[in-house]
Amino acid sequence: MNSKYEIGFIITPEANEEEVKKIIESITGTIKKAKGTIAGVDEWGRKKMAYPIKKNVEGYFVFVQAEVDGSVIADLERRLKQMEKVLRYITLRLDDKLKKANKLTKRWQKIEQFRKKSQYSHEEGKENSDSAGKEEEAYADEK
Amino acid sequence: MQTRNSSPEGKPQKKYYSVRKKYCAFCKDKVTLVDYKNFRNLENYISETGRMFPARVSGTCAYHQKQLAKAIKRARQMALIKFSEEKRGY
Repeated sequence: MNSKYEIGFIITPEANEEEVKKIIESITGTIKKAKGTIAGVDEWGRKKMAYPIKKNVEGYFVFVQAEVDGSVIADLERRLKQMEKVLRYITLRLDDKLKKANKLTKRWQKIEQFRKKSQYSHEEGKENSDSAGKEEEAYADEK
Repeated sequence: MQTRNSSPEGKPQKKYYSVRKKYCAFCKDKVTLVDYKNFRNLENYISETGRMFPARVSGTCAYHQKQLAKAIKRARQMALIKFSEEKRGY
């Protein structure tokens, strides 16, 4: 079963560009080998960290979004731990969180519908049908 | 028994101050997932020494406060925001 994951890691500033490329390619390569798909690679580049790690003030931040099997992620974590050039890493599963988020958006939509309905009934009493009609059109477009 | 908000006759006293109602900033912007990566936003919810603000101070709802707490912890782990810092001055 493939599910959505996010992997973030910090590479030491001592590493040159080739070494950074190698590390990123090795991670994306293993994901592709396991029939996973990569949604995107965020490279923030060199950034000052909030606190020094192993006496390094700066770090090279990379975030990878991918859709793979869980066993591959466990393997990746083991490998990231062994890499000396990687200062920190984090892996997150996003599937269950996105489900919760979808629930919330549905709830908000319901609330909005209810609000608009109550607005119309209020405005009809005042005979302001023009503004209400415009809003209705806008809402239809959104849907 | 006398409570703080009641006069000796038992009638509630008038409040001298008006409190602006707090609201959840995440609900207002319709944020469904609090991301640990946009640490600039998370910095608004920690004190200058690095402690999280409780929901009662910041006004965030329970749903978002739970996510916010986890996001701040993750951001700390990834060195995006500080763990703690001593107060300057004094």
